[in-house]
Amino acid sequence: MIVDTAMVELTIDGRSVRVPVGTTIWEAAEQAGIEIPSLCHDPRLAAAGVCRMCVVDVGERVLAASCVRECSDGLEVRTDSENVQSHRRRLTGLLLSEHPTPCARETRTGDCQLEQLGRHFHLEVPPTAASSPAPPPPDLSSPVIAVDHQACILCDRCIRACNDIQSNEVIGRTGKGADVRIAFDLDRPLGQSTCVACGECAAVCPTGALVGKVLTLPVIRREDMTRTDTVCPYCGVGCAVTAWVRDETIVECEGRESPVNQGRLCVKGRYGWDYTLHPHRLTTPLIRRESAYPKGPLSPAVASSLPGDRGRKPGGVVDLDDVLPAFREATWEEALDLVGSRLTAIRDSHGSNTLAGFGSAKGSNEEAYLFQKFIRAGLGTNNVDHCTRLCHASSVAALMETIGSGAVTNIFADVARADVALVTGSNTTTNHPVAATFIKQAAKANTELIVVDVRRNAIANAASHFAQIRSGTDVAFYNGLLHVLCRDNLVDKDYIDRHTEGFESLRELVETDYSPERASAICGVPAEQIEAIARTIGKATPTGGGGSMIVFWGMGVSQHVTGTDNARCLISLCLATGNIGRPGSGLHPLRGQNNVQGASDAGLIPIVYPDYQSVANEECRRKFETAWGRPLDPEPGLTVVEIIKGALLGSIRGMYIMGENPFISDPDSNTVRQALSNLDFLAVQDIFPTETAEFADVILPASSYFEKAGTYTNSDRRVQLGRPVLAPPGLARQDWEILCEVSGRVGLDSSFTDVSAVFDEFTALTRNYQGLTHENLGLTGRLWPCPDPDTADGTQILFGDGFPTTSGRGRFVPCPYRPADELPDDDFPFILNTGRVLAHWHTGSMTRRSQALDAIEPAPFVAVHPDDLQRLKADDGQELKVTSRRGSIQLSARADRNVQPGSVFIPFHFREAAANTLTNDALDPQGKIPEFKVCAVRLEPA
Amino acid sequence: MELLRELAALQQQHGCLDDGCLEELAERRGVPRYRIEELVSFYTHLRRTPPPRREIAICRDVVCTMHGGPRLREAVAEHAVEGLEVTGVSCLGRCDHAPAVSINGQPAGRVDPANADALLDDSTVPWLTAHDRCDWLADPYASPADHYATLLALASDPPTLAGTCLERLQDSGLRGMGGAGFPTGRKWQLVATETADSKYVICNADESEPGSFKDRVLLSTVPHLVIEGMVLAGLTVGADRGILFLRHEYSLEQQVLAAALQTAAARGILGENAAGSGRSFEIEIFVSPGGYILGEETALLEALEDRRGEPRNKPPYPGQHGLFGQPTLINNVETLALAVPIIHHGSTWWSDQGRPGFDGLKFVSISGDVVEPGVYELPVGTTVAELIERAGGMDGGRSVKAFLPGGASSRFLPADRLDTPLDFDTIAAAGSMLGSGAVVVVAEGRNLFELATGLVRFFRNESCGKCVPCRIGSHRAVGLLESVAAGSAGPDVLEELTPLGDTLEQTSLCGLGQVALAPILSMLEHFPAEVPAP
Repeated sequence: MIVDTAMVELTIDGRSVRVPVGTTIWEAAEQAGIEIPSLCHDPRLAAAGVCRMCVVDVGERVLAASCVRECSDGLEVRTDSENVQSHRRRLTGLLLSEHPTPCARETRTGDCQLEQLGRHFHLEVPPTAASSPAPPPPDLSSPVIAVDHQACILCDRCIRACNDIQSNEVIGRTGKGADVRIAFDLDRPLGQSTCVACGECAAVCPTGALVGKVLTLPVIRREDMTRTDTVCPYCGVGCAVTAWVRDETIVECEGRESPVNQGRLCVKGRYGWDYTLHPHRLTTPLIRRESAYPKGPLSPAVASSLPGDRGRKPGGVVDLDDVLPAFREATWEEALDLVGSRLTAIRDSHGSNTLAGFGSAKGSNEEAYLFQKFIRAGLGTNNVDHCTRLCHASSVAALMETIGSGAVTNIFADVARADVALVTGSNTTTNHPVAATFIKQAAKANTELIVVDVRRNAIANAASHFAQIRSGTDVAFYNGLLHVLCRDNLVDKDYIDRHTEGFESLRELVETDYSPERASAICGVPAEQIEAIARTIGKATPTGGGGSMIVFWGMGVSQHVTGTDNARCLISLCLATGNIGRPGSGLHPLRGQNNVQGASDAGLIPIVYPDYQSVANEECRRKFETAWGRPLDPEPGLTVVEIIKGALLGSIRGMYIMGENPFISDPDSNTVRQALSNLDFLAVQDIFPTETAEFADVILPASSYFEKAGTYTNSDRRVQLGRPVLAPPGLARQDWEILCEVSGRVGLDSSFTDVSAVFDEFTALTRNYQGLTHENLGLTGRLWPCPDPDTADGTQILFGDGFPTTSGRGRFVPCPYRPADELPDDDFPFILNTGRVLAHWHTGSMTRRSQALDAIEPAPFVAVHPDDLQRLKADDGQELKVTSRRGSIQLSARADRNVQPGSVFIPFHFREAAANTLTNDALDPQGKIPEFKVCAVRLEPA
Repeated sequence: MELLRELAALQQQHGCLDDGCLEELAERRGVPRYRIEELVSFYTHLRRTPPPRREIAICRDVVCTMHGGPRLREAVAEHAVEGLEVTGVSCLGRCDHAPAVSINGQPAGRVDPANADALLDDSTVPWLTAHDRCDWLADPYASPADHYATLLALASDPPTLAGTCLERLQDSGLRGMGGAGFPTGRKWQLVATETADSKYVICNADESEPGSFKDRVLLSTVPHLVIEGMVLAGLTVGADRGILFLRHEYSLEQQVLAAALQTAAARGILGENAAGSGRSFEIEIFVSPGGYILGEETALLEALEDRRGEPRNKPPYPGQHGLFGQPTLINNVETLALAVPIIHHGSTWWSDQGRPGFDGLKFVSISGDVVEPGVYELPVGTTVAELIERAGGMDGGRSVKAFLPGGASSRFLPADRLDTPLDFDTIAAAGSMLGSGAVVVVAEGRNLFELATGLVRFFRNESCGKCVPCRIGSHRAVGLLESVAAGSAGPDVLEELTPLGDTLEQTSLCGLGQVALAPILSMLEHFPAEVPAP
């Protein structure tokens, strides 16, 4: 007889229930369909057992809290006896006696859980509180969350959400007994604490103690609003969200249960959607007035980046009123005809390759597919690229070269199964906040976290090893690690033999030239620490497998002239230790934009058609010529920076830019400005008057993310369906429709019944997206490749058994260390590093039009080490002038110990002090990615 | 332990824990700020603001109130001396010196309110010294040279030691003297049978129950028995680390203990080869950062883990899942001390010590309206009346009105139950509980309503605030009682107390909330006429 010892049997309200050992009574009751009320319990959180509302009778001296009491064999539980009910009723009364009825949650969504219980027990008029201490006043200091301590029942949910789920570790309790209340940091007002405004606390709060502030219109009862399940528009994590709408206005976004985010969100996803309703939205097609030629900048900040202009720089975004006078409104017909005729004229008189297009990784797969088809088959050139060039082009180049695929080999959430996680060149908590919550959680559990970065970012606080390397010395550091791994035989020989090639040449390079001491002299990390990190990796990943390591990286690795080399080193690290293709291991370049993976998959890059089919490969070309019915150019096209240079030199004459803003996002803004002014014709398809649109001949008003349907592929390769929440404003149209219209006007017939038909055309031309349809993506999407999308979630881990390379093996590419392109000298003694801040997104065109995000981070700054500030005789907050060989900006100093002395950091979102005025456009030879992370600058008090 | 110890050290160094100091600590140790806030706002002895030059703390609880504590406080406060701060504090554990006073953390003895100025100058303060009387039957050793003989005789063979200890403790029927009365032998057995990487033995010396001070006297008179009990326990259950969790106010006793630990270490009782057992066992003192609730064993564990001293939901119990998740044996001071003579003499001897029908000895604190309050070593079965006799009878020859047999958390019993023998079961049968053995005697003429209200106030003040019934319920009860005392509400509002007390007892997370209303409910039951008339 087989006895299942892992089960227990008990009786709940007379019903026999059989559950696994470790199940709580509350859970067992829920499974049996018996509802036990609770205020402090939330199944997403570890049980706390503090509200005592879930008490049940288990035949002991006193009642037991069912949320924390585990079931045991033979237990007889009563959940609804009169005695139990009377105690619950009294507890509810006690809580209500101190509760401001109705609280903020009740007046808004009508779902304060305490007041609901009060109604259940008919406690409509709460007893008066007896000598209660005066409640602390409401704390309204946060731009997004209102705190009412009086409505707080100390259920502990927000504390667990903040510390255990998000690992932000801001909320705790202060005081004791009747005086206890929640507190932030050392009892600071929320807005002055280290709170990162993820809103997880407000999402779990059962009462009106923590509620989101009104961002557009107040939220109302759920039944009076419309809900739409969609996906967050911001980063590559791709969190599932639910948007709530009333009166044609989004009023709230909530995290939604999904394998991606498990209901979690960050500040942008939760509070950053109101840009879609901003009055600057473009609502009608615009054609440049004759009087507005020759073209030049229109808004003050764009003009002020001109050399010699030292006027005061206004903050914020491009004002519609600055742009409109240069344009006149037009009908769609007129505007589209003009775009078609001008592009056709340039093509016919100067040749296809004088045209180019920038698509966007913010658009859907369908849009990316249609865009590259329009440029390739309609305009006849492969000069089509997008912002992946500026983020992971080098990573993709290295991955394609070594393992034959540019995508991640494993999903980020699998960090939970990793023995070691390496996070490098990634300010994860800022740029992939929700992915960071999973990494931090794993680090608190059993994963040893190694962080390698030039800045001590917040993720380093969760790490057991933090190596602060000098800018641009990644290769030396990783070669040092590989030296120790090879020297001490901590590599997986078996894996190397079976699945790789070229190991000996790597071994020779690192063993000969990169002793820890030599590596240390270059990268600045002590040799002992290099040894210790190598041992940690080696210990966790013993030869023959068993352990596991997952590697995450971001722009800190890729945005260098050695970006491809940097990524090659990380790939070598995983190949050498056998860490690809197994649970808890893999390579995960964290993708920036929500659809940077998908846009690349859809062929929005100059060298490949959809699904990475090479334009230079004749067979591939034939396939697409047949599919699209047009001859295609066999020459690979130009990349982003090459196209801008072409515009400057006159070899590129016409451009179509959809949803990108190169004026702010590309290196060396002054050159970009000249290049854009120089174009014979520029069409811009966007939702706002961007800095780039100021140089347009025609502006086409498009739809925002929340106004259209389409699929987006996240960093994990998960293809998810974004659903329309609102209708586009005014005459604005869906992007895919606009693309079909312009395609038709350059002679490429492009008509579809709806957007899902576009997806079907795209997937039919790929291997990895085969079988996926809008319908079978469901609410939580599918990971590509997905052989059986109707029943399975897709393939989580790739390459367990070889690689899609010609030899079937992963390739080691040894990389000697090369320094950055522009190093500091006497004239420009500081290294400038650029990147993002949590509250903003790229060129700020969306986030700076979100009132919450703008309030959190309203102005540009330069982060400087306090010791350097002292040397500059400048104070924290003082205005500094930062100058490189290419330009100069002025912005306030922020003292920051997390940057190294001799380095400064400037976020690039702010047009009034555009970091890219300063950056160097030197390119990585393979990835053609500019070196945003290193250039030389000078600092002086302004 | 590390974080709380560091906070204590920083406070020692800077006088208080200001923002700058805490920010620096958070930065340096990589500890989230909220965790530091949770601690410094919870523990009585951690302070955010600079201390006054002279802080005179006077106990505000039941026994000291009876002995003029409030009057003394007012009298001292009348002296407008610069840098003087007079505060009312929870029981200082020196009810035998009521009203108990502590000046800048140093314990002082009784001062008549009329002579309050004696407390203003160190030279006139009647400073207390550690209790040093030592003629207990429970101490099997005639001279210091004999100390640890029981342990030394058994230690060379740890398996035999474990067997002997478990057998004798189980045979003796010794029960936990901290108040809960769990059979000691069974507890040791439970921890001994657990398999784990490490185990701990903790001596709970956080005696904070108003009326209870017997552990304090045992710590200063027989520290060697407490240490020996801990080592025997450690070797029996397989622990290598012992922690003596000492209440903050027992600074005098801490010195005695520290000296005894030094002696024990010097004699090889502690260390790598504890008492020659071939096993390692060390004992360290952890001084409580303050708060009655830490006497609750899981709150104590939370404090040792550098968290707020909030009791855990049970099960699991510390025996399986204790300090840092490891099996942990937690025993009271008296329990560990008594284990030694039991293991030394055997269970027959123990049984012989009690009155007919009872087993063993019990250390009882007695205070209140008696002539000689103090700690008495009694044969179990001695009645309350006999104990009062031992304590010199009633102060001023008054008669007994009521008594608490087990300190603040026990129920009041009327004088007609004075013949109840002091033992767990007999006191329970009489309608109260023996608890830690802390008899507080109240003479006729006392305002019982006021005293019982004061006891509820004590629990309200000491509630950790974690669970709803205790946090709000105890506060509400005090509010009702105060409004009746002030005449702003009629006695009928007290009808709410019975169901409220029932809810606190049935739904509170720990013992504090469960008993918080016991004093007032028992008073209302036995002495309804004491309620002030409207």
